[in-house]
Amino acid sequence: MRYVGKPLPRLEDYHLLYGQARYVDDIELPGMLYAGFVRSPYAHARVRRVDASEALSMPGVVAVFTPQSGKPFDFAPGGKVRYQGEAVAMVVAVDRYALYDALEKVYVDYEPLPAVVDPVKAMEPGAPLVDESLGTNVSRREKYASGDAERALASSDKVVEEELVTNRVVPSAMEPHGVLASHDGKTLLIYDSTQKPHIVRREVARSLDVPLAAVRVIQPDVGGGFGSKIQVYPEEVRVAAAAMALRRPVKWIATRSEDFKMTTYGRGLMLRYKAGFTRDGVLKAIKGEVIADAGAYDWFGFDLAATAATMLPAAYKVRDLDIDAVSVLTNKPPLGPYRGAGRPEATFFIERIMDLIADETGLDPVEVRRRNLVPAGPYDNPLGLHYDSGEYLATFERGIAATGYYDLVRNAEAEKARGRVLGVGMSFYIEITTYGHEVAIVRAERDGSFTVAVGIAPHGQGDATGIAQLVADELQVPIERVRVVWGDTDAVPDGIGTDGSRSITAGGSAALLAARRLLEELKKAAEELLGGPATYSDGTFKSGDKSVTIGEVVEAVYRGKVRAQLEAMEVYKARATFPYGVGVVVVELDPETGLARPLLYRSYDDIGVVVNPLLVEGQIHGGALQGISQVLYEQVVYDQDGNLATPNFAFYHVPKATEAPRYEPRLAETPHRSDHPTGTKGVGEAPTVASAAAAIKALEDAIRRATGKRVRLRSTPVTPEEVYRLIHG
Amino acid sequence: MRIKVKVNGVWYERDVEPRKLLVHFLRDDLGIKSVRVGCDTGNCGACTVLLDGKPVKSCNLLAVQADGSEIITADYSDELMERLKRAFHERHALQCGFCTSGMLLASYALLKNKPKPTEEEIREGISGVLCRCTGYQNIVEAIKSAAL
Repeated sequence: MRYVGKPLPRLEDYHLLYGQARYVDDIELPGMLYAGFVRSPYAHARVRRVDASEALSMPGVVAVFTPQSGKPFDFAPGGKVRYQGEAVAMVVAVDRYALYDALEKVYVDYEPLPAVVDPVKAMEPGAPLVDESLGTNVSRREKYASGDAERALASSDKVVEEELVTNRVVPSAMEPHGVLASHDGKTLLIYDSTQKPHIVRREVARSLDVPLAAVRVIQPDVGGGFGSKIQVYPEEVRVAAAAMALRRPVKWIATRSEDFKMTTYGRGLMLRYKAGFTRDGVLKAIKGEVIADAGAYDWFGFDLAATAATMLPAAYKVRDLDIDAVSVLTNKPPLGPYRGAGRPEATFFIERIMDLIADETGLDPVEVRRRNLVPAGPYDNPLGLHYDSGEYLATFERGIAATGYYDLVRNAEAEKARGRVLGVGMSFYIEITTYGHEVAIVRAERDGSFTVAVGIAPHGQGDATGIAQLVADELQVPIERVRVVWGDTDAVPDGIGTDGSRSITAGGSAALLAARRLLEELKKAAEELLGGPATYSDGTFKSGDKSVTIGEVVEAVYRGKVRAQLEAMEVYKARATFPYGVGVVVVELDPETGLARPLLYRSYDDIGVVVNPLLVEGQIHGGALQGISQVLYEQVVYDQDGNLATPNFAFYHVPKATEAPRYEPRLAETPHRSDHPTGTKGVGEAPTVASAAAAIKALEDAIRRATGKRVRLRSTPVTPEEVYRLIHG
Repeated sequence: MRIKVKVNGVWYERDVEPRKLLVHFLRDDLGIKSVRVGCDTGNCGACTVLLDGKPVKSCNLLAVQADGSEIITADYSDELMERLKRAFHERHALQCGFCTSGMLLASYALLKNKPKPTEEEIREGISGVLCRCTGYQNIVEAIKSAAL
């Protein structure tokens, strides 16, 4: 009976398959009202006046909250809106249809202002200011440096200067944002489509000045997040405030077009840099700046720039670095975390640089990486990160072999002879996962079954199954006797939630340690019952020829025969750990149209201990497509006035089943454990980190194979038009 | 307007506003929550139902347009639907589950018309439903295994 390592199908599936899922919009409370937001058509405008009188007289309208309503309805701070879609008022009505009628009848008098859309232009003197109080659009700039980059550049054989861009993308969780709040006089109950119920709880309590104990947040089924449901949006607080003010349940469900206007966007980073390297392909120095297109509010822009800056050296030996992390305000929705949050960008940048060195020196891309890789961890990255464990060079070599990289290249050559254009790209990545504390409670039930409550908040990853596997092993009981509950702040008092590939590592370790402590308690009780030192295995304590089952011990405690704690809570403080590996992408290019299709994603990942290979596989498949799709399909377009030209799925392309590759992931045969009790490192983001850098190289490779021309692709996405021009222009 | 529809084998008769979308009628009036709203442009397919056997996007139709029709949602149970659900579970063909109803119905319609589809036909058959979690391969594998 050992569950860890087994591909157990998910315990979460039943209710999702059998019509019993409850996403926020599926929940109805008696007397429930519907809320919606009036949003600015301008990217930048002064709000002179909001007139809600006509809306208030419409049938079914209960209330309209405007900037005059005071906190937390302080829409348009400083008297202006800063991006198209920023909320200026909130309408509450008895049903959806009445709501949408009324939203059109709130009149807002705007004075349009010049908008600034491009972060580079936003840094220029005289650019319109997004936030006048700062006196600049640069909201934060910090230097990350080591060694002497200038000197190392001067002594390099070759120096290249250019810009690399990872364009903004929309995380596109299939379920839009939504929240339902009610207040019963004692408790503010909030159902929220979030990745972080405890953070929502703290933010709502703080903003509305109510005790934490009076706020309960339930994360129902959540239809994906990918980082976009990490931020506590003002909408979440305002819906709760409206429920309190109106003394009725209030629900807000974003439409998809609304979601595109208010969700945090991902990526949106640029690297402007100079890199120096030797004619032998050894990277000597990078000097430059990572610029985040933070959007109208710097919620996360600087964090992304800083993460990308500090991860830029990856596991390469370069130690002369001088990187500024800069976040710049623009008239766009705020930038936020999206699957990998800074690590896919850092990997994209450094892997583009490795490919550049290969092109410039004429060396094989594999050889370039071989010459630059740090052999093994632990390794202190020059910008202050401690890489815990791994054999970077040996795993890279094994990854190249395991993915059959050279066979794929040879096959692409052979296919060319048959008139078919394929391209192959490869990347090495190292990424950082897991941070902060996490909380778990394990409770013994009277029949010897166990309830595990966790502060992590899975929403599709299947972590509850993984945690059940860990706890069942630790307690040596059948997994059917372990139930994992999550997403309810009443079940466990604190936690961070699910992001950063940390759930199994931080949440799992917390659960495992809580289970271990509970078992020690039960052992003491068993020894008291048995009258001597006991051993434990498979649910039974033995002392000499006497034995007692774990259920009997718990029952004895509940009946007051012996005393023991029947619940153990663990607050686990996690440290960062660093998964790494190799990703390979094959694309097929139609030179006539410029259209490329991904055919294959192969990977070789060292993610530490694998708790459930099925869950890992699921993460790799979906994550790889997100990275590839960033290169081939997903384009966010704004015009120069800050109008979003890609406001929904009709314009913004999320790949379909016909546009997805095959995935053939392999995991390292000898994984390097993290030092967490689970030994895991996390996998949710790794494939996204690896795949974008590999996909853009694959496209470059295909264009070269089609035309014989060596092209250099510097930004995502690479549209078919651009490819067409590169081929035919 | 008064309409009559048969949903998962049961007839319902209800008054609806002419402008009410079929998806809202199913969800709000009949309480069938497995039909989901993921977009407002007909692109995501989370609201897919079978209308007289054909997969349609219920957020692109008015409830009154369904008058007299037979609708099947993911809650429908027969041998094929059960086989599909089992295969989705065993092949790990769902993660957040939001697109799953639409996927099940698109694959149900596909296998009804073509019991042994090729991989290309499967991908084509479910291309009206977007999934952001799975990368599709396990869904395709599940449909293949349910087809056997």
